Amino acid sequence: MRNLLAFLLRYQGIMLFVLLEVVSFYFFLTNSSYQRAAFFNSANAYMGVLLERRTQVADYFRLAELNKQLLADNAQLRYKLYPPDFSRREADSLPVGRDTLGRVVYRHLRPATPPLPGQNPLTLNAQRVIPNSKPDTLLLGGSRQATRPLVPARVINNSLREVDNYLTLNVGSTDGVQPDRGVISAGGVVGKVQAVSQHYARVTSVLHSKLQIAAQIKRDGTICSVKWPEGMDFAHALVDQVQRQTRVLRGDTIVTSGYNAVFPAGVFIGTVESVATEPNKDFLTVKLRLGVDFSRLTYVYVVPAPPSIERDSLEQHTSELPASVKAAQAQAAKGGKQP
Amino acid sequence: MSISLVIGRQLLRFLLYVGVYVLLLDNGSVVLFDLGWNFFYLGFLLFLPISTPVALQLLLGFVLGFSIDIAHDTGGLHAAAAVLLAYLRPWVLRLLTPRDGYDAQDTVNVHQMGWQWFTVYLGLLVTLHHLAFFFLELGSLQHPLLTLSRVGVSVAYTGVVLLIVQLLFFPVRRGRG
Repeated sequence: MRNLLAFLLRYQGIMLFVLLEVVSFYFFLTNSSYQRAAFFNSANAYMGVLLERRTQVADYFRLAELNKQLLADNAQLRYKLYPPDFSRREADSLPVGRDTLGRVVYRHLRPATPPLPGQNPLTLNAQRVIPNSKPDTLLLGGSRQATRPLVPARVINNSLREVDNYLTLNVGSTDGVQPDRGVISAGGVVGKVQAVSQHYARVTSVLHSKLQIAAQIKRDGTICSVKWPEGMDFAHALVDQVQRQTRVLRGDTIVTSGYNAVFPAGVFIGTVESVATEPNKDFLTVKLRLGVDFSRLTYVYVVPAPPSIERDSLEQHTSELPASVKAAQAQAAKGGKQP
Repeated sequence: MSISLVIGRQLLRFLLYVGVYVLLLDNGSVVLFDLGWNFFYLGFLLFLPISTPVALQLLLGFVLGFSIDIAHDTGGLHAAAAVLLAYLRPWVLRLLTPRDGYDAQDTVNVHQMGWQWFTVYLGLLVTLHHLAFFFLELGSLQHPLLTLSRVGVSVAYTGVVLLIVQLLFFPVRRGRG
């Protein structure tokens, strides 16, 4: 017993060292897994309050810059509100030729409904039905999530130059933020919520080696994915899975495809900066300039949960075997064991 | 000096180093040339009393690194490197023992121990810490040149900052603890 105690005392340093290193490595290696409780990260209540206070103080010294950013966003949105110049000048009929008497024949783009019998065509003209002013959901890719608004949030902690980068936001589960929701800003895609506490959320930013974004080339709709490899700077990313025969041009716009329901379709990601063909590779190496400047990220928006439970469960169903087939298989397995 | 006074003093040092680091020097705003990171908080470990027990140093190193990890969302990266530093510190101190051993009131202080002693002590420990940290962070040996240049610039950066701390806040005359 005394020998054991002496042994433990003699080697306490190395044993404690190994123990603490194992604990550290455990936390380090499980850091990016999504299942972990949200306590040991910057989204926990104490660290969140501290980081928020820091942001409040730091913001005070850059109010002018923040206002300028918001002004630029507002200008862009306001510009979208203006109808284009030619929207009111659209012809409702086109001259298509002359008839046999030499008169011009028009083809009407919106054929008038034949007047109902007994109705004055003049009053009918007055109460002409205005076409539905809401945009067609089909044209927007069917992903218009107007049921719930975006959740605005302030970035209170931000890393840029680590190998895997995270953001902390000052919104949490009480604001309706859930894990796996997309985060966007005026400049484009920012990241994906990883863990949520009551008032704070931790986000894996685009600058994280494990985040892949379902994307497409806006010009022709080619599906691809965007990822950020380790060791790249915070202004660029790579476009992955573009077939060699695809024509990609410098300056092409890459947007989200909306296929995995994290981001709505058509959110700007970035523009293509360079395209290279490497030997022995099936895919093109496309370098992307990100639309978001991560070094001056302040206000972001969390995309709310889409009404896509139905869609997700459908996709899970079709990727699994139907229940009846499973039951039959289980039955067969049982029957095979018993005799 | 009574024990509670010592504990209170070290607690205050801990809060100062971590607080200044998280609140002021953090957030990627003080990165040199995209290569040099500042590990100001290591000053807490490096300037502990020389006679601190090894086990206590290791525990303090873990707590220190883990608090930075929580602020930085790095899991246990800073903790792993800080524990390594705490483990190596007694070895380096033994390596640098003066001819007649350490005096009872010797502290890690550039004025008391001399420039040569201090430079070797700081340079060696900070270099080992940064080597472990940056290669661990990348998780591979894929970009050795980039990582080594990061280590180099960061060692210089952290070294200069900690030297400034020494020159500003450490007593020139010995005997004040």
